[in-house]
Amino acid sequence: MPWYLYLALKQLFPSGRKFPFFTAISILGVALGVAVLIISTSVMGGFGHQIRLMTVDTQGDVQVRADGFINNPDEVQAQLARIPGIVATTPYAQGMVGVLHNSKAQYPGIQGIDPARIGRVVPLQRYLTPAGALSDLDDDSVILSVQLAGLLGAQLGDKVEVYSPLLIEKLKNDSVLLPRELRVVGIFEFGHQALDSTVVLVTLRTMQDLYGLGGAVHGINVKLEPGLDADEAAARINAALPPALHLHAVSWMDINHDFLFVLQFERNMLFFLLTFIIIVAAFSVTSSLLISVVRKTREIGLLGALGGQPWQVAACFCCQGFIIGAAGTLVGLGLGFGVLAIRDDIVHLFTRLTGSEAAMLRFYQFSHLPSYPDPAYISATIVCSIVISTLAGLLPAWRAARLQPVEALRNE
Amino acid sequence: MSEAIVTARGLTKSYLSGDRHIAVLRGIDLDIAAGESVSIRGESGSGKSTLLNLLAGLDSPDAGTLAWGDDPVAAARRAQFLGMVFQSFYLIPEIDALANVLMASRIVRAPGEAERARAKELLASVGLAERAKHLPAQLSGGERQRVALARALMNAPKLILADEPTGNLDEHTGDAVIELLLGLCASTHTTLVLVTHNATHAAKTGRQLFLRDGLFS
Repeated sequence: MPWYLYLALKQLFPSGRKFPFFTAISILGVALGVAVLIISTSVMGGFGHQIRLMTVDTQGDVQVRADGFINNPDEVQAQLARIPGIVATTPYAQGMVGVLHNSKAQYPGIQGIDPARIGRVVPLQRYLTPAGALSDLDDDSVILSVQLAGLLGAQLGDKVEVYSPLLIEKLKNDSVLLPRELRVVGIFEFGHQALDSTVVLVTLRTMQDLYGLGGAVHGINVKLEPGLDADEAAARINAALPPALHLHAVSWMDINHDFLFVLQFERNMLFFLLTFIIIVAAFSVTSSLLISVVRKTREIGLLGALGGQPWQVAACFCCQGFIIGAAGTLVGLGLGFGVLAIRDDIVHLFTRLTGSEAAMLRFYQFSHLPSYPDPAYISATIVCSIVISTLAGLLPAWRAARLQPVEALRNE
Repeated sequence: MSEAIVTARGLTKSYLSGDRHIAVLRGIDLDIAAGESVSIRGESGSGKSTLLNLLAGLDSPDAGTLAWGDDPVAAARRAQFLGMVFQSFYLIPEIDALANVLMASRIVRAPGEAERARAKELLASVGLAERAKHLPAQLSGGERQRVALARALMNAPKLILADEPTGNLDEHTGDAVIELLLGLCASTHTTLVLVTHNATHAAKTGRQLFLRDGLFS
C-alpha cells in the first residue's frame, strides 16, 4: 500500500483509538446525504414503477384507438392477431355514468369489458376481493371499485342504478330512458386512489347499450409478449394496420406520457437538490481537513524531510476525502435500504400519529409507499458521493502540497 | 582518504526581513568524510539550522555548490541518503512506535518482512523493543527521541543530520540520547552532523565546528 494511502487511513482511523469524532461525523454527513438520495429517488421511482404496473395491468401494454369508434372490433382484432409479438387483445368502451344506491349518487368512469377475453390481457381477477369473481359479470351486473362501493354503501349482491349520458340525449327528443339496474357481483381494489374511487366495470354489451354504441368500441387493449418494448410494438402495429381504418396504436408510456414525464422530472430535480446535502457534507469535510493540514503542518514538513514528494502529501489528503466518501456511501446505502425496508411501518406510524392516513391516500394515490431502487440512480448517487467527497479533499491537499518542508518544520 | 559524504563550497544564504537582506551564511566550505562525526555549535541565529537545512537539501543556497557523495543534492535521493533527527521529535501521533520507524522505509517502498524485522531490531537497539506498539503519546520525551533516532537509521542512510536533538530533553536523558546517537552512528559507520548548543555533547564528536556570523571560526 502506498504510504500516503496508509497514512490517510491511519489519520482517519488511528491505531489504538476508538472511532475518532472527526471521521465519524464526516462519514455520517456523507451517509445521511446518500441515504436521503437513495430513499427519495427509490420512492419516486416506486411511484413510476407502480404506475407502470397498474397501467399495464389495467390497460395492457398497448391500446389501439380510433379517431371516433372502432365499428368492426372483431376484424381489427383478427388483423392484430397476425402481428408478431401480440399475445392477446380485448376490446373496451369507456365513458362516464351516474351511479345511485340508497339515495347516494356518484359519477364514476365506466369501462365496458369482454369478460371472456379480458383475463388474457389484464389480470383483473387478481384485484377482485375474494368474494367476487370476474366470471360472474354478465349484462345485468357490475363490478365496483372498493372506495366507490364504500361511498355508495353498496355490497356484493346489492343493486345499483346506472344513469348514462344517453338519458340527456333522449330527453332532448322528449323521450325517457330508464336507468339500468345492475347487481354488484364484484369489488376490486388496485391500491390506486384514482382507480379505486372512480371506476365501475360492466360488460361490453352493457356499456354499448348505455352509450348507444351498437357494436362499436372505443379501443382495443393489446397484450405483448413479455420483454417486448411497448413503444416499438406500437410503432410496428401502426405500420401494419391499414391507414384506411384510421386507427392508431399507443403504448402505455405514451398514454401516460405527461404523468411519467412529471414523475421523471420530479425525480431528477429531487436528485439534483438532494445532492446538495452531500455537497454541504463535503464542505464540512474540506473544513475539517483544512484544520488538519494546519494542525499537522510539522508532520507534513517531516514527510517532506523523509523524502515524501508534494504530490504524495496531496494524495494523502485526497485519499482521506475519498475514504470518507466511500465509507459514507457504504453506510448511506445501508441506511437508505434499511429505511426503505421498513418504509411502510414508518409511514403508517407517522400517519397514525398525525391522523393523516386518509389525506395521504387522497394525495399520494397509493395505499402502500412504493419503492423502486433504480440501478441508474443508485450508481449516480454512489459516483456523485465519492467524487464530491474526493474533491472535498482537493483544497486541503493543495494547501498541504504547497507547504515547504523547511517552512513547515520551522512552524513551532 | 575516506569517501566524501558532504562537499560544500561557498554556501551563502540570506533572508529578507522587512526590506533588509540578512546574510545568514556567508560562504561556507565544508567537507565531511564517511563515518565522521561532526558537531556544529553557534549562538542562536548564527545559521546552524539554516546550514543543516541546506545540507539536508530541504532548502537551496543563494550561491555555492553542495554535493552528497559524488552527486549533487537531489530531493529524490534524500530518503535513502540521509536521516534526520529533530529537536521536537516529529513522530506521527496516529501510529505506534514501530510504524513510525517503518514510515521512513514506507516512503521509499512498501515495507516487507525484512523491513519490519529491521525496524524491530532498531527499536531494540535504542532500548524500546517492549514499547513497539505504544503510541507516541504513551512515550516519554527521551523515548520519543529514541524512536526518532531509530527512524533516522531505518533506511541505512550514509548521513544523519541531528538538529539539537536534546533541546527538549532534560540533561540526563539528553546525555543518554547523545551517547546512543554517537554509538549507533559509530557502529553502523554512519556519518553524523550534530547541531547543538551543548559543548559537552559537541566535544564527544570527532570534529567540532563553530559557526559565527555565517562562517566557521
